[in-house]
Amino acid sequence: MTAVAFDYTAPTTVDEALRTLHSPGLTVTPLAGGQSLLPLLTRREVRPDLVVDLNGIPGLAGIEVSPHRVRIGAMTRLRDLEQHAELATALPVLASAAASVAHPHIRGRSTLGGSLCHAAPAAELPAVAVALGADVVLRSVRGARSVPAARFATGAGATVRAPDEVLTEVVFPRADGLAYEFSELGTRGSTGYPVVGVCLGLHVADGLVRAARVVVAGCGPVPVRLPGVEAELADRPVAGPHRGLVASVAAEVARGPGPEDQEYRTEAAGVLLLRALTARAAREGR
Amino acid sequence: MSVRTVTVRVNGVVRTEDAWDHTTLAEHLRTGLRLTGTHVGCGTGDCGACVVLLDGEPVCSCLVLAVQADGREISTVEGVAGGGDLTRAQRALIEEHGLQCGFCTPGLVVRMAHAAGRGGSEADVLAGHLCRCTGYDGIRAALRKLSGGSGGDR
Amino acid sequence: MSGAHQHIGRPVPPRHHDRLVRGHGRFLADLRAAGVLYATLVRSPLAHARIVGFDASAARSDPRCALVLGPDDLAERTAPIPTAWRLPGQPEDRIPIAAHTARYAGQPLGIVVADTPTAAEDLAEAVRLDLDPLPPAATLADALAEHAPPIVPGAAGNEAGSIRLGSPEEDVAAAFARAELVVEREFTLPRVNPSPLEPRGVLAEYDPGTGLLTVHAGSQSPHSMRQDLCAVLGMRADRVRVIAPDIGGSFGSKVVLYPDEAMVCAAAVALGAAVRWVESRAENFDGAYQGRGQRTTARLAVGHEGRFLAFDAHILADLGAYATQAGSGPHQVTALTLQGPYHVDAAAATVTGVYTTRVPTGAYRGYGMQEAAFIRERLIEEAARELDVPALELRLRNLIRPEELPHTTHTGLTYDSGDYGAALRRAATLAERPPPSDPPWVRRGTAVVAAVEITAFAPSALLETFGIAWSGWEGVRLRINHDGTVTAYSGVIAVGQGIETSLAQIAAEGLGVPLDWVRVELGDTDTAPHSDLSAQASRALTLAGGALLIAARRLADRMRTLAAGFLGTDPDRVTQRIGSRADPSSPDAAFHGTDGARITWREVAHRGYRGWGNRKDTDRIRLEEAVDFDPPQITFAHGAHAAEVTVDVGTGRVTVTGYWAVHDSGVLVNPLIAHGQIAGGIAQGLGQALSEEARADAEGVPVTRSFREYAVPAAQDVPEDLVIEHTCTPSTAIPGGFKGLGEGGTLLPPAAVTCAVAAAVPEIAHTLTSLPLTPSRVRAALRAAGITAEGGLR
Repeated sequence: MTAVAFDYTAPTTVDEALRTLHSPGLTVTPLAGGQSLLPLLTRREVRPDLVVDLNGIPGLAGIEVSPHRVRIGAMTRLRDLEQHAELATALPVLASAAASVAHPHIRGRSTLGGSLCHAAPAAELPAVAVALGADVVLRSVRGARSVPAARFATGAGATVRAPDEVLTEVVFPRADGLAYEFSELGTRGSTGYPVVGVCLGLHVADGLVRAARVVVAGCGPVPVRLPGVEAELADRPVAGPHRGLVASVAAEVARGPGPEDQEYRTEAAGVLLLRALTARAAREGR
Repeated sequence: MSVRTVTVRVNGVVRTEDAWDHTTLAEHLRTGLRLTGTHVGCGTGDCGACVVLLDGEPVCSCLVLAVQADGREISTVEGVAGGGDLTRAQRALIEEHGLQCGFCTPGLVVRMAHAAGRGGSEADVLAGHLCRCTGYDGIRAALRKLSGGSGGDR
Repeated sequence: MSGAHQHIGRPVPPRHHDRLVRGHGRFLADLRAAGVLYATLVRSPLAHARIVGFDASAARSDPRCALVLGPDDLAERTAPIPTAWRLPGQPEDRIPIAAHTARYAGQPLGIVVADTPTAAEDLAEAVRLDLDPLPPAATLADALAEHAPPIVPGAAGNEAGSIRLGSPEEDVAAAFARAELVVEREFTLPRVNPSPLEPRGVLAEYDPGTGLLTVHAGSQSPHSMRQDLCAVLGMRADRVRVIAPDIGGSFGSKVVLYPDEAMVCAAAVALGAAVRWVESRAENFDGAYQGRGQRTTARLAVGHEGRFLAFDAHILADLGAYATQAGSGPHQVTALTLQGPYHVDAAAATVTGVYTTRVPTGAYRGYGMQEAAFIRERLIEEAARELDVPALELRLRNLIRPEELPHTTHTGLTYDSGDYGAALRRAATLAERPPPSDPPWVRRGTAVVAAVEITAFAPSALLETFGIAWSGWEGVRLRINHDGTVTAYSGVIAVGQGIETSLAQIAAEGLGVPLDWVRVELGDTDTAPHSDLSAQASRALTLAGGALLIAARRLADRMRTLAAGFLGTDPDRVTQRIGSRADPSSPDAAFHGTDGARITWREVAHRGYRGWGNRKDTDRIRLEEAVDFDPPQITFAHGAHAAEVTVDVGTGRVTVTGYWAVHDSGVLVNPLIAHGQIAGGIAQGLGQALSEEARADAEGVPVTRSFREYAVPAAQDVPEDLVIEHTCTPSTAIPGGFKGLGEGGTLLPPAAVTCAVAAAVPEIAHTLTSLPLTPSRVRAALRAAGITAEGGLR
């Protein structure tokens, strides 16, 4: 239950971190909040030579809300996402999804960038980032690049981030006219790991769905958008009837590879979607 | 792999000891600083037995490296009452039988000390803490007592 | 002041709490030991393999290495662990420390000792295992399949043996022949991890100069650990001392010596040094013996007017790779207790032990009784559904009534006292409440179930009858010290249950002294009276408490006799008056004669130790009494639980919205502790009902290895509406009228919750035979019953 010995360094600038990460021949791991990395280290599931702690770099954390987009530094803690007043107005779904992650001790350390890089299949924030159409900014000694969130995770625990790249910020567009919400089913136990999550964005007018965005997490290795289901919802009364919707979600999700209890998960994702629509209809009706 | 000097202010006392780079804060507190009140129940952040305050905020000390605490302030269960009088929360846990084996208790005591005066729901205080003995019943009774209700119907 | 019940019955907060809330506990990993070395076990990554090579040359040549013991080294240094409770025909009666075939993933094959924990882990990884894989048989079905790989030499078809307990076959057959209804189901109770918050651990120190081995271990039974260590290491009992420090929960998982613990001790002996091993959480999931693990076909015969005629069951017991010291014991207890609190004309059950390539199963809180309750109460609930009779009415019609006690069951258990109907009716009444309005996808249901609980598994002659190589008696020593304070020694140990407080209350009661004069000393084989079973089987309070009450009354009598001598009067003319806050030397703590003369408690004790004054016996000077207590029979506690649940038909999630428990454990020594024991037991039972299952992959390698994959209940999983009441029918077998309660809370939650789910969704009731009721499992049942996930939404 102790990590394989590694060296540790805590750069104070991004450039210094990038130079350190670019160490050919060494296995180098960036350390963000550490809430997923530390168990991997102490259980010896990862064995880096060098751990580069990003916590001491000013400027990697912070939330900047502007009219057309929200930029969030990768080292922003989930607790700050939960508690940020401007963000709660600009992108409330980020705050609520962050609040449903694990438990308070974890959220006080865990970061947005770390959550995206850990890329757990059912995780909340990667799903929301995909739904919102966020861009993930990566930097290395070779330069910077921006990757759409939908193309960032490539599998369970795997992303397009190169070993010497640092995720520096995530840029969320605003004002696509949709109102988003996130709901999930979790396991029992203290941490309540997510099993299935659904991020639903809706534009409703006169009781009709004018535009919809649906992303499900936990039904496959990465969160996926369901354009077929989105099209099915378009121009339909938000209050339904949504006959066949649960089956449609299952049919569209099941095209990809999934976990062994795929049947349960896809059905549950459909149920979450149906309930989110019902709740939205109830609010519209008031 | 290297050793470095880690200086922390723990329970109000500045302590300087060596730690390996790969040592967790929990192990450093227990082995390096001989503060064995902080317990490691899982090592994955699920049980909460190792919760301490790092610069005033609760963290799972098994999920922080000792070197990351260098120059910072830590409060552990040993510091909650110091050598003196128990806090209300500690007394409530005793009186309401909010512990049995006591292995998970240190993290909970630290969490309750942090929550004291800040409000926060019962569910919020208990989130991230596993207790295998009490069924949480005595702990809830203690929390009710602290929030001004009666100690429970027992 | 010596009147009855000055201390017994008071809800005193346990005395160990103060130091634990301050962080001053002394758990295994906290103990200081100069120059201690650290051990890591080398464990098998495969579930079944021949060990062709164990190459530790790289590890041994590392300067950080102190010692490596592989299978050959262990074979030279250790003998197998003897077993105590076996099935007829069981092919193995001992458990080797040195294994040349791995039979489960996580099995300890060797041990590495180094100067730091990290070095020990590094060097354990440096050991090169050459394993020749053998086919696994990870489940009962795999192990019993026609061409299943043989696991244990001599165990044909992987069967470890069988035993049939209960009524003669002709009685069972006759009862079923008379039946108007027979309900038969197959039940699956999966393996579970007891999961104490503190994993296991050993600190072993061998002094070559004195030849003494001192072992600190989180052991629930230090004396039996010492006996087994003597057998394994070939050491004399006077040279081995086992001490239990604070123990962070146990629940049955720390009752026997494990091979890995024995390896740590063997390493300490080999090195002449102190060696510590602290188990990781993942190791605890892999290597600590698991509970339950049973597949049972059971049937209930119901006759005219809903009278129960007979229970019959065939229990397939997943013993795992080795039959442990108690082997099939828990499953035999299922067979013994299947009848529960009901009248039947016949009851019998067969237990067949089956070897699988999984970690062994063993004791876990409830010890077969939870399984019996689940099987029985589910069968009854199903019978009620098929007869279209309220289940409560059916149960009440068949309960054994108080005036019919004592009652001997078909498995030979004699229930001493109780009022089963009162508990059942009370639980049902408590659970009555108007249903709230639920969303359309929520179904709500309530059920109430009942059980009788074996507490204080004794007398020793009973264990002899069962062929169990352990004793059932319990001994105490009680001493009044020269200053009047009191020390009690017992072989039971504290695992957080508060036994040291309850025993102090009993001693103080019997002596008529304030509680804080009494210290209770437990857990050290050098000072504690012998105890085989110690703090297991809901027996510590009843047996040690019963013995202590006898000892305290004897000592109180001797003190009075001494005092009478010093006061120049007769003992029956002496009054003992001790203020509740007095100290032993104060005038408020004195014996009074009839003429105004008095002598303090302390002075009596002090003079007593000088050998002054009148004594009945010339050879009894020390104010110390040793009492061994072997009760005439088992004493039976009982209880009834009601659960209210909601079932989300869309997600399959079951939520327990209310829980009411009525228990009868006779005279309660400390109601606060009693409440805590029941509440904690209920939470563990809810975990087994809803989320806990120790799973392995198809190769038999564990996949539940952290609290992430294995969800023990968190606060939100235990209803806030948790009500616990006690009724009191005193034991007729135990002094003081005490009965046990350590396991009672755990027995009924799976039955109560599952029956409540059946009540909520009768369409799936007949399928509710396997635990845990996970959302995906419940949803699959709902789907099969044609209940769509939309749950009424459009």
